[in-house]
Amino acid sequence: MLSFVLRRLGAMALTMLVVSAVVFGLMELIPGNVATMVLGPYASDEQKNIWLSTNGYLEPAWCRYGVWLANFMQGDFGHSIRFKVPVGDVLWPRLGRTAILGVSALAVIVPLSLTMGVLAGMREGSIIDRLISVIGIVTTSIPEFASAVFLTGIFVFWLQWLPGASTMSDGFEAVQLVLPVLVLVLYDFGYIARMTRASMIDVIATPYIRTAILKGLPRRQVILRHAFRNALIAPFTVIMLQINWLLSGVIVVEFFFAYKGFGALLLEAALNRDVFVIEACAMIAVFVAVATQALADIGYAFLNPRIRFGSAD
Amino acid sequence: MAIHYEGNVLKRKSYGADIHPVISDYAAQFKAGKLNRRDFIQSATRLGMSAGAAFAITGVTPSRQILAATPKKGGDFRVSMNVKDASDPAIYDWSEKGNVARHMCEPLVQIDANNIARPHLAAGWRASNDLKTWTFKLREGVTWSNGDSFGADDVVATVRRWLDPKTGSSNQGRFAAMTTLIDTGKIDKHGKPEKSRVARAGAVEKVDDHTVRFHLARPDLSLPESFADYPALITHRRFAEDGANLMKNPIGTGAFKLKQFAVGEKAVLDKRRDSPYWGGDIYLDRITYIDHGDDPAAEIGALASGQVDANYQSSVEQVDTIRSLPNLNLLEMVTAQTGIARMKVTAQPFNNKNIRKAVQACVDHDRILAIVYRGLGAVAEDHHVAPIHPEYAALPKLRQDYAAAHRYLAAAGRPNGIKLTIDCVANPAWEQNVCKALVEMCKPAGIQISINIMPGGSYWDRWMTTPFGFTSWTHRALGVQVLNLAYRSGVAWNETSYANPAFDALLDQAGGVTDANDRRMVMAQAEAMLQDDAIISQSFWRSVFVAANKRVHGLYPHVALEHHFNKVWLA
Repeated sequence: MLSFVLRRLGAMALTMLVVSAVVFGLMELIPGNVATMVLGPYASDEQKNIWLSTNGYLEPAWCRYGVWLANFMQGDFGHSIRFKVPVGDVLWPRLGRTAILGVSALAVIVPLSLTMGVLAGMREGSIIDRLISVIGIVTTSIPEFASAVFLTGIFVFWLQWLPGASTMSDGFEAVQLVLPVLVLVLYDFGYIARMTRASMIDVIATPYIRTAILKGLPRRQVILRHAFRNALIAPFTVIMLQINWLLSGVIVVEFFFAYKGFGALLLEAALNRDVFVIEACAMIAVFVAVATQALADIGYAFLNPRIRFGSAD
Repeated sequence: MAIHYEGNVLKRKSYGADIHPVISDYAAQFKAGKLNRRDFIQSATRLGMSAGAAFAITGVTPSRQILAATPKKGGDFRVSMNVKDASDPAIYDWSEKGNVARHMCEPLVQIDANNIARPHLAAGWRASNDLKTWTFKLREGVTWSNGDSFGADDVVATVRRWLDPKTGSSNQGRFAAMTTLIDTGKIDKHGKPEKSRVARAGAVEKVDDHTVRFHLARPDLSLPESFADYPALITHRRFAEDGANLMKNPIGTGAFKLKQFAVGEKAVLDKRRDSPYWGGDIYLDRITYIDHGDDPAAEIGALASGQVDANYQSSVEQVDTIRSLPNLNLLEMVTAQTGIARMKVTAQPFNNKNIRKAVQACVDHDRILAIVYRGLGAVAEDHHVAPIHPEYAALPKLRQDYAAAHRYLAAAGRPNGIKLTIDCVANPAWEQNVCKALVEMCKPAGIQISINIMPGGSYWDRWMTTPFGFTSWTHRALGVQVLNLAYRSGVAWNETSYANPAFDALLDQAGGVTDANDRRMVMAQAEAMLQDDAIISQSFWRSVFVAANKRVHGLYPHVALEHHFNKVWLA
């Protein structure tokens, strides 16, 4: 287990190093002057040069990358040119907000899709299976930007039940989370439900379930105790991958509802060439991607005792 | 204020001086029906007459003085607008930055709802007969939020800082008549002597604690309007020494003080209670700007559900939606805001005038206005002077002429056409829609244009350098103002790199002519010159729209989208 964790940590560090170098290199390739972004388009060349020199931008790129890397390893993420504050000051609150959105969405998506998937998979081909499958396919095939428009039209403009923007400008308000969460749930639940359904159908068809049924166990007990845990293996990995998607894949939803989260921050930083914010966001994204993968592996082993870590045993 | 005729001459007492002699001519022209009411008020106020006095002569009450109901005090006025870094007013490049700061730091002059320059931190001004010396009397009894008294030192320090090339302020172009070009003694990368534009010696003079005099190299009629533009906010005399950062060190004379500021999120301003505001009652307790990003869906959703009370502006595509929402009013204002497809005369292939003329000849201006902006505006004529500008001179109507376009292309050595690329921003949509219309209109002549749509941040990084770009321009009260800012040789915002001494001379001349009709004749030449040189394709002047909740009173859409909330109140 220890060697597994160490291997994962090593892989994570290497991935972060490569990604950070690639991002830095790409930012260098984009034409245009960073000083123009900071001082505005009307600043004189003299003024721009002073800014570039004071902020170390006249050094070669590898040198600046080295300085950034050394600072990053000590927890200093640099200074945002758009927000004019240390990157951490804007990054952590934004990450916190996306975590709230992501956890809220998962809290709905996971129970809903697992229940739907199990219900559908228990009796393949039944009306309930067909109904859940069709709903799942339809909602998953509607992109977020379209469902966001439909839902806003219904709940904001027509029924006037919900607020149209989720800026949380007066502090956290749960009601502002409803529409973004609903859009994410609609988009995602069908996918996990169908994975669960397929997994459930496979498990139901196995000999040990047939044996359990034949020996007279109540159906409820067969499903919950024998089938469900085994049917969870495939959806569990998929759910773990959703965490990654909920971090940086929610840009569309955050942008549409003006939810000031991590995805929106990444977009703003990219549009404004805010290199240190982009680097920090990339590092967070890599960290979460690798960490969720590791968690998925551990959880997979827990659910499937045939898988063990390491090679010694 | 006493205004009276003596014989045929109009007299007014204003800090010990008679009114500018030309105003009595204006009044006579107005009474004879040769000058319309709007032109008279604009001309008279520009030369120092108060708007109230000018309105009194025309026998009309200005609209903002009409109050339909008793204002109610209190409340938080929540406005949806992008919150951008607003550290240094001198280098503002967006009206939004000025809007947050203007509640704290104020200008000497404000353009009101009627497009008329009114004294603000200035109590009044007076121009010399040759329009080269302008004396501004400053308002007394105004205090900064740190307790200091406002006075001439603040204005002198602020204006000198604008004119310093190290500041990089666009105000240097606005007040170019106070500057001069000097040789720095250095050689630039092209081997030419490096020049620098600096303040003329003695351009800004402190007369006494509340009087400042500006000495201009040439007459400039638009000086009061220039003092009203959004980067022309007066900062404290120690602004530069204290770090030149209004967000970290928010000292101002305005009715509000900054409570919270976060780029991309929100700005909160609370009513100042340390001393009574010089401008009388302020009704709002708080102004909150909320940034809804660049997706209009979030903003319209917030307006519909009452999360905000008003917005910065609505796009033409939203007009029907806003009209259909029962809680909102749609406020509309005809402006001199526009967008121009501008060609850089120093860049290939636009250094060939025939290519520019060919593009110009393909455009049907009326049709672009109808298709892109639903006809809500006025047709433009490729010279950046609007019919609502007082000095506008009508020129023969431009017509789409493909035969001429073919002739110009042949003369440019491109009889089989040419391929071009135009850069434009993704939002607002009307800008790229004009480009799309332009593409279609140019096709029949063999001009193939591809559009490079980019996010705002990327476009504004290259708006000065791209050979062919679509740039939006905000409203300015006078035509000469925008021509000085954008087309005079060598000024900061000259994005076409147009450099025509004859045109500069016409601008100088127009800026010195006080008679509205005479000035119009000079402007006719300047307009024709700009139009003939074909450096821009300008399709229309657009109306602007603001959506406001019905509980908002006293709000008017400003021609330059400025926010003046001192008399706004919430029911």
